Amino acid sequence: MEGPLGIPLEHVLYLAITLFLIGVVGILIRRNVIFILLSLELMMNASALAFVAAGAYWQEADGQVMFMFILALAAAEVAVALGLVVQLARRFRTLDIDAASEMTG
Amino acid sequence: MFGVDWSYLLILPIVLGALVAALVLVWWERRVLGWFQDRLGPNRVGWFGVLQALADVIKLVTKDDWVPPFGDRILFILAPVIVAGAMLMSFVVVPLDAHLIIADTNIALLWFLAMSSLAVYGVLLAGLASNNKYALLGGLRSAAQMVTYEVFMGLSLLGVVMLSGSFSLKDVVEAQEEMWFCIPQFVGLVIFVIAGLAETHRLPFDLPEAEHELTAGFHTEYSGMKFGLIMAGEYLALILVSCLIVVLFFGGWLGPGFLPGFVWFGIKVVLVINFFILLRAAIPRPRYDQLMSLGWKILLPLSLLNILVSGAVVLWMAS
Amino acid sequence: MGYWLFWIAGGIAILSAFAAITRMNASHALIYLVITLLSIAVIFFLLGAPFAAALEIVIYAGAIVVLFLFVVMMLNLGRRAVERERQWLLPGIWVIPAIMAGALFIVLGIALSGSEHEAVIEGTMVGPKEVGRSLLGPYILGVELAAVLLLAALVGAFHLGRRYIEERREK
Repeated sequence: MEGPLGIPLEHVLYLAITLFLIGVVGILIRRNVIFILLSLELMMNASALAFVAAGAYWQEADGQVMFMFILALAAAEVAVALGLVVQLARRFRTLDIDAASEMTG
Repeated sequence: MFGVDWSYLLILPIVLGALVAALVLVWWERRVLGWFQDRLGPNRVGWFGVLQALADVIKLVTKDDWVPPFGDRILFILAPVIVAGAMLMSFVVVPLDAHLIIADTNIALLWFLAMSSLAVYGVLLAGLASNNKYALLGGLRSAAQMVTYEVFMGLSLLGVVMLSGSFSLKDVVEAQEEMWFCIPQFVGLVIFVIAGLAETHRLPFDLPEAEHELTAGFHTEYSGMKFGLIMAGEYLALILVSCLIVVLFFGGWLGPGFLPGFVWFGIKVVLVINFFILLRAAIPRPRYDQLMSLGWKILLPLSLLNILVSGAVVLWMAS
Repeated sequence: MGYWLFWIAGGIAILSAFAAITRMNASHALIYLVITLLSIAVIFFLLGAPFAAALEIVIYAGAIVVLFLFVVMMLNLGRRAVERERQWLLPGIWVIPAIMAGALFIVLGIALSGSEHEAVIEGTMVGPKEVGRSLLGPYILGVELAAVLLLAALVGAFHLGRRYIEERREK
């Protein structure tokens, strides 16, 4: 897009904060472990938005580089977390995260 | 010029052209398969059966529009839309000629990969919303195959990107003025053809949706125009993959000057589509685990080796 | 025009994020998450980061959420799960998280409004070439560490899945 865009950086950061807080509320109110992981992905995306916006403000590539690292992190975390979800579902026969509340067994 | 981007005028012709080409391909594929398999193709409707696609459309439109009673209604209706829509959106970046592109972005190849990633959702949601064991299994298998072969598609494109220095499809064609990329990137071409076949789930990779395997897989419960939309999406994907093979490896619109560029593009695309129909006629269908192990055990090391050797050669030639 | 597009995309992102956390059906919530990711990709395009936008669609919306959908399809929850979710999500449990989120929003808002000068994003494009030079230049160590992290995740996911397959064989 040619020409100055004129979006204040603050507005993008407010959007990132709002999405992050929606993710936090999502983790706090849901008991199903898949919804908790979903809200976690939302929080990571909100922080990625903040990074890319900051990189776009300074017109450097560093924001997008950090975004790629967040992407690799999210992919690694989701792979292991979903493996754990499958184990949880098989052992406790439920996806309620309060079922896995003991440290042994 | 006047602040208006004239390439917006190309949207309707290209979209309509792609849809009409998909319709023609319905008839043409069955005709060519008939030739290859030494039998008559469609020849009842119209001269040489040309109106066969129209007859199919009329049949599908007048069928009962039915949603499975215990399935998920919204997702059931959404799935064919995603399949066809994602493939249509990829036509935005395909260059027909030096100035006949809707959007000449500098990430055109990545846009194509993004749209094929979104097309996986159509298959997954179709399997999920059908409330049918066969559809669920077929959807899971088909989606796993598509996600796998997407990886190799992306990796095999990187050799082309290294040789041309840009993700933009116009730059890729303009970098092929001396030599088409099918010669230095032959391994990349082979991997992209195989991965493209698997992405559009055509034979030999259509195990999850063939009629005798898993009772038609993820589109078991689909009938009427929703099924027609899924089939249209598949033919659109075939045309899209052929267009991309021509642009990336066979020089796009480049050719001797006595014909305009987009005519050469059209000729090459028609040749590649006929090659894909030949593959459908000739090759048997491998098993699902053979398919996946072919991907992960043979194509992944091969594509990584391709990137390594291409990068080494580019660096050596630049010094 | 880009300013209004940012507000529209931002509004869609917030609405579909809110819808994603309040659905009873897991697959519906995942589709709303995909809509959120696509609108964030639109915002990335607007900000002049097309490489980040394309990667977001390819990897986040195209692989990570697909993995979520795989697990949801495998577990095959059905209608009883939707009923159970309705019992778990009572209106009364919104009070304290909403108060905490509101307090956090006010604190972050105060922190953001501390600076005087206007920071405006120009929207000049930072293309894939600059990102590639930056990744393989100053940030090469991060790339190698990310590769090690992905290898660890690969081994972990394989190990967690393998036990499930062996248990199934025993039955």
